[in-house]
Amino acid sequence: MKQLIELNINGRNYEVAVNPRDLLIDVIRKKIGLTGTKKGCGEGDCGACTVLIDGKPELSCIKLAIACQGQKITTIEGLAQEDGSLHPLQQSFVDHGAVQCGFCTPGMIMSSKALLDRNPNPSPQEIKHELSGNICRCTGYKKIIEAVEAAAKVWSQEGVK
Amino acid sequence: MVMNHFEYFAPRTPAETLELLGRFGSKAKILAGGTDLMILMKNRAIQPECVIDINQVQDFRTIMCEPGQGAVIGTNVKLAEIQFSEALQAKYPALSYAAGEVGSAQVRHMASLGGNTCNASPAAETPTPLAALGTKVVLSSQSGDRELPLEQFITGVRQLGLNEGEMLTRFILPEPAPRSACRYAYMGRRDAMEIDSVNMAVNLELQPDGETIRNIKLVMGSVYPRPLVSQEVPALLNGQRLIDELIETAAAAAQGEAKPIDDIRATAEYRREIVKVLARRLIQETYAAAKGV
Repeated sequence: MKQLIELNINGRNYEVAVNPRDLLIDVIRKKIGLTGTKKGCGEGDCGACTVLIDGKPELSCIKLAIACQGQKITTIEGLAQEDGSLHPLQQSFVDHGAVQCGFCTPGMIMSSKALLDRNPNPSPQEIKHELSGNICRCTGYKKIIEAVEAAAKVWSQEGVK
Repeated sequence: MVMNHFEYFAPRTPAETLELLGRFGSKAKILAGGTDLMILMKNRAIQPECVIDINQVQDFRTIMCEPGQGAVIGTNVKLAEIQFSEALQAKYPALSYAAGEVGSAQVRHMASLGGNTCNASPAAETPTPLAALGTKVVLSSQSGDRELPLEQFITGVRQLGLNEGEMLTRFILPEPAPRSACRYAYMGRRDAMEIDSVNMAVNLELQPDGETIRNIKLVMGSVYPRPLVSQEVPALLNGQRLIDELIETAAAAAQGEAKPIDDIRATAEYRREIVKVLARRLIQETYAAAKGV
């Protein structure tokens, strides 16, 4: 039995018909058409599907879409400015060569954003601990950590939101 | 795999939740964080007829931790909230530390303390320090509440002492005794996103002389079907001042009590070795912390 629900994604309301069993990742990608969020393992291990729900990093592959009504969902598409200029985290990933195949990148950036929103000045160890749920199979972790560290500097200086 | 069809409910109060639970009983599953439940459902290991999502119930999301009054933690308090709560960090550092070592940041923001207990995995992190701290669980149904020590609530692998129509609603943690300390340690193959091969918590209280052990509780995880509370360690150490020889004897006693199995994460032999190492380390650490050294 499909039900009509409203999801708030990147500040915009979307009305979608879902089954209770429909997962947030599938609704975001297939029904709403925001394909920046990636589906990797489907078991909550790889972090590719990470989105922010009320500012907290959550795994959209093990989250029911119907359970997200009334919450603010942010995907990678919600980070860039309206004029297309990149969010400092995105820019930092580009500048530091932290993107290889790119599949893990949206999840990495969403987890990093949640970390920097909570703690704009994390140590490398904290960055590693907080990003440990995001797996990169190109093994570009070093540059990813550097990119987050560099973004953190901009963050604390300019107070990015 | 795709999950089975189910009916979805999102109650807003404990009373509504218990009413639904009374109506559907074992046909229903409670959804808190879903980090275990969704995976079991996706694999079709379980196919509940209805899912009761408790994330709208504010009462299940509260932490009460006032000075001198222990703490009451709602069943759906997220592990990340326990990791970052300054009040809990100060009073129950072993619990905050254990919560912060579960899975990943994403898992910790989704998963709940109640879920980590009710999933009843022998390798679960938080039941070990909770048991060491003397935590009681409150089990609620439409006919009322009852309390049970946590180690009696988890009865085996994925088995709980829950009656039909009952659910865990909150944890009651006693106020730590003066001159006491509780610490947690674990061992796994890697640091992140791993499941512990052994975990352990020790809660130790000193007598007013600040030297003699009044009471020690050592709890082991991942070496028994449920959290294993050592009987021998308190028998050996209560009433004693800690000397190196006693630490060795106590660690060996804990090792003797552990009944680990071989599995993908570690061999039983390795686990037994690690029990001894962690026991030695934690007894020393908690003794020093209780003394205020």
